[in-house]
Amino acid sequence: MGLIDQRFDDNIITTNLDKILNWARRSSLWPMGFGLACCAIEMMATSASRFDISRFGAEVFRASPRQSDLMIVAGTVTKKMAPVLRRLYDQMPEPKWVISMGSCSNAGGPFPTYSVLQGVDKVVPVDVYISGCPPRPEALLYGLMRLQDKIRKENTVLRRPRVIKVGETEPVLVEDRG
Amino acid sequence: MQTLKNFFRTVFLIDLLKGLWVTLKYTPQPAFTFQYPAERRPVAARFRGLLRLQVEPETGAQTCIVCDQCAKVCPDDLISLGGHREPGQKIKILDYFDFNLSRCSFCGLCSEVCPTKPVKALIMSEDYELGSYSRNTQILRVDEMYDGVPIEQYTR
Repeated sequence: MGLIDQRFDDNIITTNLDKILNWARRSSLWPMGFGLACCAIEMMATSASRFDISRFGAEVFRASPRQSDLMIVAGTVTKKMAPVLRRLYDQMPEPKWVISMGSCSNAGGPFPTYSVLQGVDKVVPVDVYISGCPPRPEALLYGLMRLQDKIRKENTVLRRPRVIKVGETEPVLVEDRG
Repeated sequence: MQTLKNFFRTVFLIDLLKGLWVTLKYTPQPAFTFQYPAERRPVAARFRGLLRLQVEPETGAQTCIVCDQCAKVCPDDLISLGGHREPGQKIKILDYFDFNLSRCSFCGLCSEVCPTKPVKALIMSEDYELGSYSRNTQILRVDEMYDGVPIEQYTR
């Protein structure tokens, strides 16, 4: 997508193309199961038939980063694991998203120690943080739906001016069209 | 003889039909899947969700007596609260109650030690849908801590 990524102004073709691309991206989020601790059990339960993450198009847990769009970091990230996690994130093709699942990967959880990474956002950019210890399968599905909301608002081929407001860190759209 | 038997098993696909029969037996059952955004499963009575502050149900008055026990018992030091005493009044008034959700392991010790009766000031509520886009919004202030903040409904 590098050639046409965010290079076009509004017209009837590009806005509709944007909608179609965002629909395709959000309804086929193939996750890379990055199960590191007990949160991985809940992630497995989410992909099983009771909760069935495939209703959201995200059932194909890939073992390879080359085939996945979404990294669900489920569990405690130790400092020994952190470079591996970053390398796997770098190997994922664009577009890619990260869900941080559980208190341990959000902020280190109950382990403020020398060996545990204090939040996975020190290594990779995180899109959605899900709190819980571990989060229920419903909470993971909720986080996935929040990520789908985020993808729906993204601009894929359209160029839209963004500003960073005073006191904020994230850029926001100049005019939010919803 | 054994060769002939194996030949007929292969020709008439006996093993395949045996496997398909197992599948067919489970087919008339209703679907097992729980349609989460449409239907919400009731949580168990002891379920520990997001920490919430409660008010008196009739009057809406504050129940927290600013005793600081929850902040002391928290194993990760996630709660900090403070209050002031009005002249002439007996109880303290809660000024701020900051709760850092991002590290919380939902152990429930804070609501266990809460001494207020009959209405507990701190409860582990049934809210479990806790997704956020940034770590700043995971630090809950006092007005976000009160019970009855509506859960964001899923819209397609």
